[in-house]
Amino acid sequence: MTKEIEKAGITIVQMANLVTIAHSVGANRVVPTVAIPYPLGDPNLSEEEQYQLRKHRVGIALKALATNIEEPTIFEV
Amino acid sequence: MRLELGHFFVQDVRFGEKTEYRNGVLTINKEEAIRVVREDEHITEADLVIAKPGDPVRITPVKEAIEPRCKVSGGVLFPGTLNKLMPAGNGRTHALKGTAVLAVGKHWGGFQDGLIDMSGPGAKQTMFSQLINICLVADTDEAFERYEQQKKNRALRWAGMRLAQYLGQTVKELEPDEEEIFELPPLNQRSLKTQQLPGVVYVLQLQSQMLDSGYNALVYGWDANRMLPTLMHPNEILDGAIISGSFMPSSSKISTYQHVNNLTIKRLMREHGKTINFLGVIVSNLNVQLEEKKRSAYFVRQLATALGAEGAIVCEEGYGNPDSDFIYVINELEDAGIKVVGITNECTGRDGRSQPLVELSDKADAIVSTGNVSQLLRLPPMERVIGDLQSLARDGNSGGWEGCVKEDGSIEMENNGMFCADGVTGDHYKTVVEY
Amino acid sequence: MKRAIHYLNQFFGQIGGEEKADHEPEIREGVVGPGILLNNLLAPEVEVTHTVICGDNFFGSHKEEAIERILNDLKDKPFDLFIAGPAFMAGRYGVACGAICEAVQEQFGVPAVTSMHEENPGKELYYKSIYIFPGGNSAVAMRKDMAAIASFAKKLATGQPLGPAREEGYIPRGIRHEAFIDPPRLGADRAVEMLLKKLKGEPYQTEMPMPKGDRPAIAPAVKVEEAKLAIVTSGGIVPKGNPDRIQSASATKWGKYDISNLDRLNAGEWETIHAGFDPTFANQNPNVIVPLDALRAYERENKIGQLHPYYYCTVGTGTTQAEASRMGREIAQELLEAQVSAAILVST
Repeated sequence: MTKEIEKAGITIVQMANLVTIAHSVGANRVVPTVAIPYPLGDPNLSEEEQYQLRKHRVGIALKALATNIEEPTIFEV
Repeated sequence: MRLELGHFFVQDVRFGEKTEYRNGVLTINKEEAIRVVREDEHITEADLVIAKPGDPVRITPVKEAIEPRCKVSGGVLFPGTLNKLMPAGNGRTHALKGTAVLAVGKHWGGFQDGLIDMSGPGAKQTMFSQLINICLVADTDEAFERYEQQKKNRALRWAGMRLAQYLGQTVKELEPDEEEIFELPPLNQRSLKTQQLPGVVYVLQLQSQMLDSGYNALVYGWDANRMLPTLMHPNEILDGAIISGSFMPSSSKISTYQHVNNLTIKRLMREHGKTINFLGVIVSNLNVQLEEKKRSAYFVRQLATALGAEGAIVCEEGYGNPDSDFIYVINELEDAGIKVVGITNECTGRDGRSQPLVELSDKADAIVSTGNVSQLLRLPPMERVIGDLQSLARDGNSGGWEGCVKEDGSIEMENNGMFCADGVTGDHYKTVVEY
Repeated sequence: MKRAIHYLNQFFGQIGGEEKADHEPEIREGVVGPGILLNNLLAPEVEVTHTVICGDNFFGSHKEEAIERILNDLKDKPFDLFIAGPAFMAGRYGVACGAICEAVQEQFGVPAVTSMHEENPGKELYYKSIYIFPGGNSAVAMRKDMAAIASFAKKLATGQPLGPAREEGYIPRGIRHEAFIDPPRLGADRAVEMLLKKLKGEPYQTEMPMPKGDRPAIAPAVKVEEAKLAIVTSGGIVPKGNPDRIQSASATKWGKYDISNLDRLNAGEWETIHAGFDPTFANQNPNVIVPLDALRAYERENKIGQLHPYYYCTVGTGTTQAEASRMGREIAQELLEAQVSAAILVST
């Protein structure tokens, strides 16, 4: 899906746990998430800590959208 | 470790006065057998139905298959799950070959359950169509998961094991038709000739993606999600140390029947000392977190390297996300200089045009493909249904959908929902080819 | 008797060499040049009734016009098969054979067959849509290449069952379906024997050749603080009750849901229907998959121009690549129409 949206000319970042899959299926901008069942949360943390974690990762995704890249890139969190 | 497997080739199964095995015929006292099934009060209804190859019969929702067996000496059947925890793989085990106990839902199916046709075009899909199936059709009081798509199917799976053990008892004192001996000495006690052959490991990636307990494959009763890759003796697996879980579309699963009959392990045992030096089985898992996937892959690589493996066969119980665990392990082993053959199914879509695995690697250059989960099957009606055909359409079966069961009883489904049809342990002659 | 129509370029159509490469498309009754050989090989089941001839340069530089004119010429001719070439290593000819075969097959629903060298650029462009036989690199291979085309074309015309690509000899079209090995060979034996060969360094054939991925051009950076940003997810977050009945696995549907008046997705009102993972955590807090709360915060901080009023959702487990691509294209179309310039896709 990421690939098709990017082909349409829309800049897209994929937030994925399996960054290598995201990468191998053709996503150019990838930001790692926490886990498959809770990409942007963590049951071991409090609600507030989870929100901070989520905001941080989404912030990296926004940065990825604002970054010009030469090759497919995994943005470290 | 030495395991003697005594095979009794069952020609027929019927109901009768006394549960016994005589001259190739297994007779079952239904009442007594059902009493064994109902030892668990969670079983609320139970019946036994026999389905034979060629019968105009469709069975669904099938939750598990177990070979009727007994331990004659040296341990217990299914240690750590059905019976107390103790080592498996030693002594003598008797098995009723050509039969399986199937745990079948009377009404309720789910994502992970399967379908078996005993004749017609669907009978080619899965090896279970070739067995005399003793179907335990039962309902349970597990109300908490009745309408859940994902079911643990605990009561039915355990009832199936009890029934298989009860039937296996019939041959405890008898002389088998054939005997197979499995013996694999410690690495330092092998002949020089054997030690000079290329060392090979078998890597078994068990389905373990569920975080909640009760769904994943169990190793001596231990959830495969909560383990790190470990080295096991092949005999342990052939003797019931691993039982199947209750998660993943059915065609991708390895039933307990298939674990104890793992044909890849058996073939590697036969090759041992002739063409290879079989080093053992690395039991690994399939995870949902990237770190877990990496950690398991590193463990597999380290174990294989430390054992001196030159070759490996990697078997994946699942498709989709687990493809990445499969590819990680292959990459790690190949990077360590170990030559790998992978055995798995694929998902190319109904039109066959999608990429076969979600993760690809040029290092995965030797793959045995055992099926396409999304192959569309149109199957004619059957005279009889064992179980509840509507479960395929109603209960979120991975191969079915609303409306896939037609009024005349014919069905449309994806191979996903065929019971353990993609035989990743190597028990079937199905493959995928390019057109 | 079944009918076939044959396509040739100006050279094999006996119009002339390079100087005649601008020859406009024409159709003739009967066979021309290598068509005689083809006709002999197809007899008696199939007859070549007409020959289409077009110059390679004309086809190359006026591709759409050439195709349109040829299709028009074929409109009133009954035929069961379309055969082009063989084109050997001739690049323009190979591309023309591929293109016209694809167009004829699509327009008239008849199977189309051609042959060219595996390195002919026409192969890479068209092997997925038509039957291409691997051929020699020059007309020296004419007899052999034409025989391969003809024996397969006969099977097609007479409706005989077709085997997989490797058996039939054409270049695999990237279509993978189940098959039963006859005589049966079990997976265990195939795996162990493949390993023994690999260990010995002997040749073996994988049952799953690794396809090459195709990657879209990298879209440029956007000014996020001015952008209209959309959220897309394959994590199956839907309004409670799943109004669009998106399948929990092997999805073929996607949904779009209005979030314009929401600051976050509340538990109980939204849920995940994804069957591929434990849903407990996402049901307790759907924002872990659709991070609306965090994005609203950035919007308030003016770090995002505007959040698109809808988010888009499907389920990513067991979903084939083809379905995922189709849904991706449909969603992309919506996003373009709504002038969305940036997107975040959360996958599970």
